[in-house]
Amino acid sequence: MTIHLASKRPNAEALKGFEEKLNKVRDDVMKNIGEKDANYIRRLIRIQRGGDILGRIALVLGFYHPLFWLAGVVLLALSKILDNMEIGHNVMHGQYDWMNDPHINSRKFDWDIWGDGESWKRYHNHEHHTYTNIIGKDRDYGYGLLRLSDDMSWRPKNRFQFITYFLLSSFFQFGIAYHEVAGERIFFGKKKEKSSLPISRKALKESFFGKIKRQVFKEYIFFPLLAALISWPMFFAVLAGNMIAEFIRNWWTSSVIFCGHFTEDAQTFDEKECENETRGEWYYRQILGSSNFEGSRVFHILTGHLSCQVEHHLFPDVPAYHYLDMSKEVRKICKEYNIPYNTGSFLQQYWTVVKRIGKYSLPTEAEQKLA
Amino acid sequence: MNALSQKSWAWFSQALTQHSSFSAYFQPLIQIVAPQWTTDAYRASVVDIRDELSDMYTLVLAPQAGWLDKEWPNFKAGQYIELMVEKNGARVLRCFSISSSPAHYARTGLIELSIRQQYKGKMTPWMRQQLQLGSFVNISAPQGDFTLLASADANKKLFIAGGSGITPFRSMLQQQALNPSSLQTDQNIHLLYYSRNDKEIAFKHELASLQEQHPGITITFIDSSVEGFVSADHLLKYCADFHQRTAYVCGPSPMIQQARKVLSELGLSSDKVHFEYFGAAPIEIENTQQGVVHFAASQQVLVTEKDNTQTLLEHAEAQGLSPVSGCRIGVCHQCICKKKSGVVFNTRTQKFSDTGSEEIQLCISVAQGDVVLDI
Repeated sequence: MTIHLASKRPNAEALKGFEEKLNKVRDDVMKNIGEKDANYIRRLIRIQRGGDILGRIALVLGFYHPLFWLAGVVLLALSKILDNMEIGHNVMHGQYDWMNDPHINSRKFDWDIWGDGESWKRYHNHEHHTYTNIIGKDRDYGYGLLRLSDDMSWRPKNRFQFITYFLLSSFFQFGIAYHEVAGERIFFGKKKEKSSLPISRKALKESFFGKIKRQVFKEYIFFPLLAALISWPMFFAVLAGNMIAEFIRNWWTSSVIFCGHFTEDAQTFDEKECENETRGEWYYRQILGSSNFEGSRVFHILTGHLSCQVEHHLFPDVPAYHYLDMSKEVRKICKEYNIPYNTGSFLQQYWTVVKRIGKYSLPTEAEQKLA
Repeated sequence: MNALSQKSWAWFSQALTQHSSFSAYFQPLIQIVAPQWTTDAYRASVVDIRDELSDMYTLVLAPQAGWLDKEWPNFKAGQYIELMVEKNGARVLRCFSISSSPAHYARTGLIELSIRQQYKGKMTPWMRQQLQLGSFVNISAPQGDFTLLASADANKKLFIAGGSGITPFRSMLQQQALNPSSLQTDQNIHLLYYSRNDKEIAFKHELASLQEQHPGITITFIDSSVEGFVSADHLLKYCADFHQRTAYVCGPSPMIQQARKVLSELGLSSDKVHFEYFGAAPIEIENTQQGVVHFAASQQVLVTEKDNTQTLLEHAEAQGLSPVSGCRIGVCHQCICKKKSGVVFNTRTQKFSDTGSEEIQLCISVAQGDVVLDI
């Protein structure tokens, strides 16, 4: 149920203090951003590139022993996860733009996934981060496929939304690519009166198909064919390896994202209440609409520190490696102002996501009566 | 490679690596063995740092060449380079004239940059203190057309240098001295060298001995604290045949303006006056300054009023341009644009930008004085 922000949030004066404290958390970190952060992201990129290259070699070495093939799948999946999460997602948020590096910046970077980086930046960074969990504005909310709140009216298709969820996660990269260009708008012509598209439909379609073409060429044609030079059955071994690596990555990213916004207590909001928000009010909404989960540092890196979704939504352009330390401060501040801070273990949070998908696959009692 | 195969190659690289070139994808790995290796610039090692004056030093660089490093192109005396240095993880870029000659480079493989430490500057004092001998920096290919014309009527030359504006002339003089045939007495060079006092004159002895060895070179040292800036009197007094010469002027902007004005008033046609603005853009800014925003790609110019706090995005849109934009509050990074030069104030971070070329978010940037944007 969408919450009434105005009645719930602290008064204006308290919010001002809250805003200042959060600003200070940000400033304290940004003051010290520098060489360490540059070296960190470069090191991660090296590890990711190493995983990518070794993974592809190992897949082909599956010719000698299947264990190589297995190692190849794991390395490739890890490399894709690192590329998409800790590197791509964060670089494209502009977290490393201060480095002034020709290749590690939000303008140039593109990631190893079907979704085209430019289109993703356009929708995700703008709509999702500005209008987080506002029903009708944040298209990431349920991806237009799932009903995750009773603010969306129930439709018969929601009965099967577990299947939809399973398919969405399995083919998440297609889902993301389609979703970020607002596929239903550009392909099926549901034209809105006021188009918010900053570029033409044609350009959107081109970047959509252009990126998928390149990815299909790489994963399903080029590398399998290269392996087929050794022996033709290797074509299928490498093709399968690439697909499985993508499948693993798809489920991983989908699960991380669902745990970030669709847990049981993550709130949704009404558009009207979010007009002319102060920064403090914006902060407040970001905290209510996001949820964190806990784990080891390696685990956090593999989620791109989206395990600290709350901090990411408060400070989207702070290098994500700092979120973990910042979360301690943010949590303290939330406690002080009596603002709920949603966190738990990954499994706990994931379980509430599953429950939420289940809960809203059924109509509300009122709707049942109507039917 | 023809255009088509170049395009296919770029597509192939983009498909396999998500990068516009394979070397961009491999760059972080190559940097393990070759620090500071980059796809968009050349690599040079710091060979020596030599003090010239209390606030001026010479950086001696050896551009790298080898199987990893592409060869740095030849330069002409008077040209400058962009020096890219990594300071606290961030690449900072500054332009400097090469103060040594092409002949010196051919002989030793070294180039020199003579750098004045800007008062309260972010980079120039830092480089003096922090650059380590043997470390690597990046340099661009040589640029600029402040070079000597080869045509015959340009043989007699008047150089006017102010302070650290001596650097391109040092390169030219060294080069000319190695080529005595170009320095016959009737094709000579006259240098008017302005300094802020009679003690702090960079390359004084070196220049004096050049003058002794080469009758074709005349140098007049002028102490600005006593004789003032460029004036018609100076020209008439020290270089009476200036009207027969092609003039080259380099130094601080007010000095260049002054010299151009004086020369034009004395009847020297503007096609015989070449100049190179020198020195860093203003560093200390208190309030929004009046300035010119130049939208380079669309060839539009806008004059901003003092204390106008409109963002560059608003300015661009008011000019009828439509740069990609998004949230307009600095979150989504869609309106990022290349700033070629100038200082902007970031309303989100409340910080002033660097003066050099870098990417900025238009929606939260306010121009401080003159700014050139690549849109």
